[in-house]
Amino acid sequence: MKFKTEILYKTMLAATFIAATVMSSATMANEKQSGDFGRGAKAWVDNCGRCHNVRDPKELRDDQWISTAFHMRLRAGLTGQQTRDILTFLQGSN
Amino acid sequence: MRFKLSVLTCAMGLAMYANAGAATDIEKLKAEVDDLKQQVESAAEWKKPITLVHLAGFASVGYTDTKSEPGTFNTGSFSPILHYQFNESVMLEAELEFATDEGGNSDASIEYMTIDLFMNDYAALVVGKFLSPLGQFRQNMHPSWINKMASAPVGFGHDQAASNAEVGAMVRGGFPMSGIYANYAAYLGNGPTLEADAGEIEKIESPGVNKDGDGKKVGGGRFGLYFPNQKLDLGISAATGKVAVRSLSGATYTYDDPRDYDVLGADFIWHINTLDLRGEYTKQKYGAQASSSAPDAGAWEAWYVQAAYGFGGAKWEAVVRYSEYDTPQDSKDRNQSMVGLNYLFASNVIGKVDYEFNDNPNAGLTADDRLLLQLAYGF
Repeated sequence: MKFKTEILYKTMLAATFIAATVMSSATMANEKQSGDFGRGAKAWVDNCGRCHNVRDPKELRDDQWISTAFHMRLRAGLTGQQTRDILTFLQGSN
Repeated sequence: MRFKLSVLTCAMGLAMYANAGAATDIEKLKAEVDDLKQQVESAAEWKKPITLVHLAGFASVGYTDTKSEPGTFNTGSFSPILHYQFNESVMLEAELEFATDEGGNSDASIEYMTIDLFMNDYAALVVGKFLSPLGQFRQNMHPSWINKMASAPVGFGHDQAASNAEVGAMVRGGFPMSGIYANYAAYLGNGPTLEADAGEIEKIESPGVNKDGDGKKVGGGRFGLYFPNQKLDLGISAATGKVAVRSLSGATYTYDDPRDYDVLGADFIWHINTLDLRGEYTKQKYGAQASSSAPDAGAWEAWYVQAAYGFGGAKWEAVVRYSEYDTPQDSKDRNQSMVGLNYLFASNVIGKVDYEFNDNPNAGLTADDRLLLQLAYGF
């Protein structure tokens, strides 16, 4: 039973890595869309309050929002497109 | 005739003067436009720099009054986070932690330090020392301005039931799934170590060690789903591998034979208007190893549920939390109930007043209740 559980964990882990790599190569060729203010406003409302209090777009400068957005991309599991949308909204509202 | 000539001369003079003034105005206007152009270009540089350095982080100060001890002021911790980003493709992230102990001595440590490669819209490769992606509290809720209580739930502190940090490589990201969003993290790392004393495992240490002493890696991850319409986050976590008891012999570490190690966890966050509900379960267990100085198997388990209700124009929060912590050592076990009231000076500056009711569920053992005051600042 224990052996089976271990095999299951390792299979899940391998599958996740493979899925990430496949998605990686599949989307590398695609052109990135630029950020969209409207979508960004919705993504900001939907995501930024999941763990912490929502921060006002005017609290940081445009450049400060860039690293903050990419930091939060990793923390919240956002897609690259969501990150660009939220960044466009934050910089446009600043 | 002479009069007409004089008038004509004056008119021509005035026209020439006016023309000269107009030319000056145009030149002024042109200079202003050029200046504005430069300002716009300069502003654009700030919007899309190629490289940038950014400092974020959090800090807290407070006062703790434990039932059987005198009340004491404390500095909490100061945790600056440095970001050094190159384009949209690479970012270095490092969080330091500075804390002062009871004797006034300061201690500095690296909470995490990673180089992140954003491979595409759905995956980033994170390499270095990172916060454990197992569960939510340790990786996302522990900063004092995010944690709605002045202390961590029992079992979710350093070297307790929840895994803290790992040194290794991780792929993480998110992708849309017909109206909901999935997020994932999968890692392979050196794994934690076990600390033993008098033939018993004292704790599972997971500060993120720089040497894989037992030569066996630990792999695992978290898979989460976020339902934006319901404002509901659900996640499950698991890890498996081998760990070993580590002992300090002179100036070097020695390691017992490795043994099995497994982690299981589940977490949720749910927002209903201004009500914030969250909870998490985690269990780390290690197998028996007959050749070890601490041969028995054991498990460290903890869970918590918390409700926070915002009122008064989102300036106030009432918080309640219940948590349990179960270990192979009876003296460390805790059941904790907590009530608190928060005032938000700003969304990132929070004053907290909390009271902890602590119990040891094992017969004959007790734990002190505590009053905690904290001022937390996220920056």
